[in-house]
Amino acid sequence: MNETGGSVDVLGVGKTYGQAVALDDVTLHVEPGEFMTLLGSSGSGKSTLLNVVAGFTRPTSGSVTVDGRDITHDPPYKRDLGMVFQHYALFPHMSVAENVAFPLRRRRVRGAELTRRVDEALDVVELGGLRDRRPAQLSGGQQQRVALARAIVFRPRVLLMDEPLGALDKRLREQLQLEIKRLHTELGITFVFVTHDQDEALTMSDRIALLRDGRVVQVGTPADLYDRPASRYVAEFLGESNLLPAANDSEALLVRPQDVRLSRPGADLPAGDHAHDGKVTEVIYLGSGLRVEVELRSGGRLIARTGTRLDPVPRPDDEVVVHWRQQDCVTVPA
Amino acid sequence: MTGEAVTGRRLPDGWGFLVLPLVAFLLVVFVHPLISVLARSLSDPEPGLGNYAAFFDSPVYLDVLVNTFVVAGLVTLVTLVLGFPYAYLMTLATPFWRGVLMAAVLVPFWTSLLVRTFAWVLILRDTGVVNEVIGALGGQPVPLLRNLAGVLIGMVQVMLPFAVLPIYATMRGVDRRLLQAAEGLGARPAFAFWRVYAPLTLPGVAAATLLVFVSSLGFYVTPALLGGPQNVMIGELIVQQLSGVLRWGFASALAVILLVVTGVLLLLAARVVDLRRMIGGGR
Repeated sequence: MNETGGSVDVLGVGKTYGQAVALDDVTLHVEPGEFMTLLGSSGSGKSTLLNVVAGFTRPTSGSVTVDGRDITHDPPYKRDLGMVFQHYALFPHMSVAENVAFPLRRRRVRGAELTRRVDEALDVVELGGLRDRRPAQLSGGQQQRVALARAIVFRPRVLLMDEPLGALDKRLREQLQLEIKRLHTELGITFVFVTHDQDEALTMSDRIALLRDGRVVQVGTPADLYDRPASRYVAEFLGESNLLPAANDSEALLVRPQDVRLSRPGADLPAGDHAHDGKVTEVIYLGSGLRVEVELRSGGRLIARTGTRLDPVPRPDDEVVVHWRQQDCVTVPA
Repeated sequence: MTGEAVTGRRLPDGWGFLVLPLVAFLLVVFVHPLISVLARSLSDPEPGLGNYAAFFDSPVYLDVLVNTFVVAGLVTLVTLVLGFPYAYLMTLATPFWRGVLMAAVLVPFWTSLLVRTFAWVLILRDTGVVNEVIGALGGQPVPLLRNLAGVLIGMVQVMLPFAVLPIYATMRGVDRRLLQAAEGLGARPAFAFWRVYAPLTLPGVAAATLLVFVSSLGFYVTPALLGGPQNVMIGELIVQQLSGVLRWGFASALAVILLVVTGVLLLLAARVVDLRRMIGGGR
């Protein structure tokens, strides 16, 4: 099953519902074989954008092309894209194998070829033993794997996923994240993945498009977005961030909590470090580290994440110096 | 079921008498009449199976029984053909139009059967509204009364709510997003509808089929007023034997035969459909 992925181009797509603007002139290019995540909070337009690509939502303006072919006005069943939903959308009256066979039957695949490809797809998601079960007899994670098998069995060049892990508990979600990632590498097809979970986006994606109020605010690799956010919104959306006033008012300084170090007042600091005096207000033990909140003497507060083996372990009301390396902070447009 | 589960559901001792009024009611209103009908069919005018022998001896009576099932079958078929798309339309309509559609089915349901049937006589007779329109358009009058067409029209109208309501209830529980999923997987809308949506409405369709069919078997007023001598139903025959020729024993035998045949059909249906779930009983 080594297929090549298709490229997806969204060009100036807008979608309005009466007065409400769901998508505002969105343009996005997805490379063949890429894992692209549409990230955003609810109402950001990420699901609307996916539904426009899938054909379930008709855009008010703009166009969608796959491999250069304009599909803007094609109904969903002509688009040949795989789709996985948050609610699984398995057909309850069909067995696992019949569910997976559904897109093949529609494409007139029959007999031994049908059986072989259904088995192959179920093997890929490691559900070979459950082919005769009904969806209701499966756990949520198993159901979503069946949905995955059903979406890839007809070898689409693009797979669309709308919050596929949203209904699963944390451990299962993390396990399936890795499986979907593996599937992406194995199949070589293009994945467009929608999520509101920034950790999920950072873990899985080749590139992330962050949406807000129907617009794309930044597109880039996880490192681009995390380390070089294009705006304050991006910085705050991805991970914990400390934003401090910068030299001029139109910018802010971003330093991530794990880059902040704590020292005792008067200790020698590495040359060139930014340093501020402050007082510890709260220390939370997280197992993997400490989350220390510091009130700066210059005003404002700052979060530091440190190891648990600091000597001495900071306590509330301790006077401290917080500092970080010059290269660990970036200026962000405010 | 374990003993514990049973005792766990039992009321405290001494409260059992609360169901006595219901038991008494059932005995007086259902069990006693049934037993007396059965007893009369075996004893009037003389003890024995004479009434049943008379029924099976005469092809006329068997014809009536067969006709009853044919009419009930046709009514069921037409009711389903009309009721299924009607119920589907209700699932698609806005709340306002859903209310209108629901009322359109239910208001006749609450109107007297006799009034409705006489209304059909006025509408369907040769000088009625329907034939006046056909005449005005230059067509020949179509006989719609005193024949099978009249019976079907009248009975289907009565039975429509019994088909629409269970089918609509089932459809409301079907996840429409499955249709979207099917289309996303390459199914044309019609293919998606018949392979995904329709099979999921089958429990409602089965419930409607049984309700309509069994209720249709016992119809009297509608076939008596709208039907002709060619398609007498067993209900009419019973009334005729009862009040026309005063053969109460034979009328009782007819009632028992209808009951038994209906019971057998229900038992057969129960092998296919979960009857208890359909009438809202156990799970």
